[in-house]
Amino acid sequence: MTDIVDLFVANAERNGLIVHRGAVPELPDAVCSPASFGLADPGSIVFEASPQLPRSESLLPDVHVGVLEEHLLLPDLTALLARVGGELPSSLAIVSGPSKSADIEQVLALGVHGPREQHVALVPSGRGLAR
Amino acid sequence: MAELEQPAGRFRVIARGKLADGRVQSVIDSSTARLRTNRIDAWDELGDVPERRDRAYEIRMRAIRDIDRLLEEFRAALGARGGKVAVCATAEEANAYIVDVCRQHDARLVAKSKSMATEEISLNVALEAAGIESVETDLGEYVLQLEGEHPVHIVAPAIEKTKEDVARLFSEREGVEVPPVLEELTAAARRQLRDVFLTADVGVTGANFAIAETGTIVTVTNEGNGRLVASLPKVHVVVTGIERLVERLDDLPTLLELLGRSATGQRLTSYTHLVTGPRREGEEDGPDELHVVFLENGRRNLIDTKYEEMLACIRCGSCLNVCPVYRHTAGEAYGPVYSGPMGAVLVPLLVGLEQAPGLPHASSLCGACSEACPVKIPLHELLLELRRDLVDQGSASRMERLGFFLCSLAWSSPLGYRLSTRLARIGHRLAPRLGPGRVWARGRELPAFASRRFRDSS
Repeated sequence: MTDIVDLFVANAERNGLIVHRGAVPELPDAVCSPASFGLADPGSIVFEASPQLPRSESLLPDVHVGVLEEHLLLPDLTALLARVGGELPSSLAIVSGPSKSADIEQVLALGVHGPREQHVALVPSGRGLAR
Repeated sequence: MAELEQPAGRFRVIARGKLADGRVQSVIDSSTARLRTNRIDAWDELGDVPERRDRAYEIRMRAIRDIDRLLEEFRAALGARGGKVAVCATAEEANAYIVDVCRQHDARLVAKSKSMATEEISLNVALEAAGIESVETDLGEYVLQLEGEHPVHIVAPAIEKTKEDVARLFSEREGVEVPPVLEELTAAARRQLRDVFLTADVGVTGANFAIAETGTIVTVTNEGNGRLVASLPKVHVVVTGIERLVERLDDLPTLLELLGRSATGQRLTSYTHLVTGPRREGEEDGPDELHVVFLENGRRNLIDTKYEEMLACIRCGSCLNVCPVYRHTAGEAYGPVYSGPMGAVLVPLLVGLEQAPGLPHASSLCGACSEACPVKIPLHELLLELRRDLVDQGSASRMERLGFFLCSLAWSSPLGYRLSTRLARIGHRLAPRLGPGRVWARGRELPAFASRRFRDSS
């Protein structure tokens, strides 16, 4: 279990996600949403649309926190598709970084239309957001 | 379809201007070098690239050779989720369908995310003619729309624009001075486009892949505009070529892992979005209606021909970044939609070779494009095939045909060959000064012949 957690944290941070271990951080103006899964490779969090989670909740805020319970960590994309493939939600978003663009002079700018800061709170199983 | 047509000579005229423009040369050189290095590093990290490229090629060709079954499977799967599918033979048909959907909903404002398929059919022009405002929301595309220009790179559409260009356009739009500072420009785009997302009646996106098995549309973006356009408006229209279908959901990881790495060097882009049908019961947002418009526009004719591999293209742009011709002439010369080696092959195939006779010549045939292609399209060989077709159509000038006729006559006999090598020493001084030789020799330094022939030295 720790192996997959360490791999997830290392990859997610490399992708520009801000990872917090153990608890949900106190951030002013941040919106927190439950993540359905995490992918150790390449270091992503997954949001599935549902009556409890609108599509735009993880998109419109400037600062967003995905709350991920450790037992929801999967190794990779193949494992995710095997898990959800039987019943895909109307919208499944695999988030692997903050909103960004290099359209102007090929230099990276953050927070173009989606969140400028994408946090991940990696919490023990059963300690996630109740919805 | 007028958008794609490339009259003879157009390429040369535009390319000459770009070659003389030092600013464009330096911007294109540094940007493509960066994208190319990112791709090479990301491929190196994978380790087993040859096997992955083989798998990707197999996935793409398996889908293309079975396209009708996949279209029906997609239609059934999406239909079961309440989505609609239209297969359109031409650009006009696709535009009419989309305008009709907009009219049914009294749409005034359409929010668009980046889509080369909609560029190909000039959707914005069709919407404008119908009195519907259409706003590009990808940062690069938005800049180009404000400037009234077309994309010059399929992944980085505004690759030639500087911070100062963007600041001028954004300032005009807002009526206040926006400084040429990257953070300020990003914030201005966010500000100017947020309302578009929130008030648009219809959202239009492209698709990177369409999965037949599940009726799923897959898009990859970095900015988040694609997800917003697919989430907030009441109607979502997807426009994509029929060849973007793949058979199964488990075909997807192989393609996504190569696409991100090949396009920008990312393992996955910030957002990979899988949409399977419109909003469901109880969901707060998401469109009430989802339409998927599959565009043929000449693609179907390529299946089962020597050119069918071109349909495997996943639009990563890596062939542009390695192409010595693209890297000097820049994108505009290729036309308003597709550029670089993939454009030089695809455009003549879509519009007919006689409508774009210059493009197959926009290559040195060095093969760098084929080496960089994640789905193993033999791009430089297809370019050579297109040139062969041009010759078969009798496209060569009388002088060119006469020249090759004389060559073949001379080299059919030992005597003729010996004579020709003697004459070459005089001829190579004259050739660059006469007729077609003059054009060919421009910008080249021709090596001098040795005073003694090799065959005479033993």
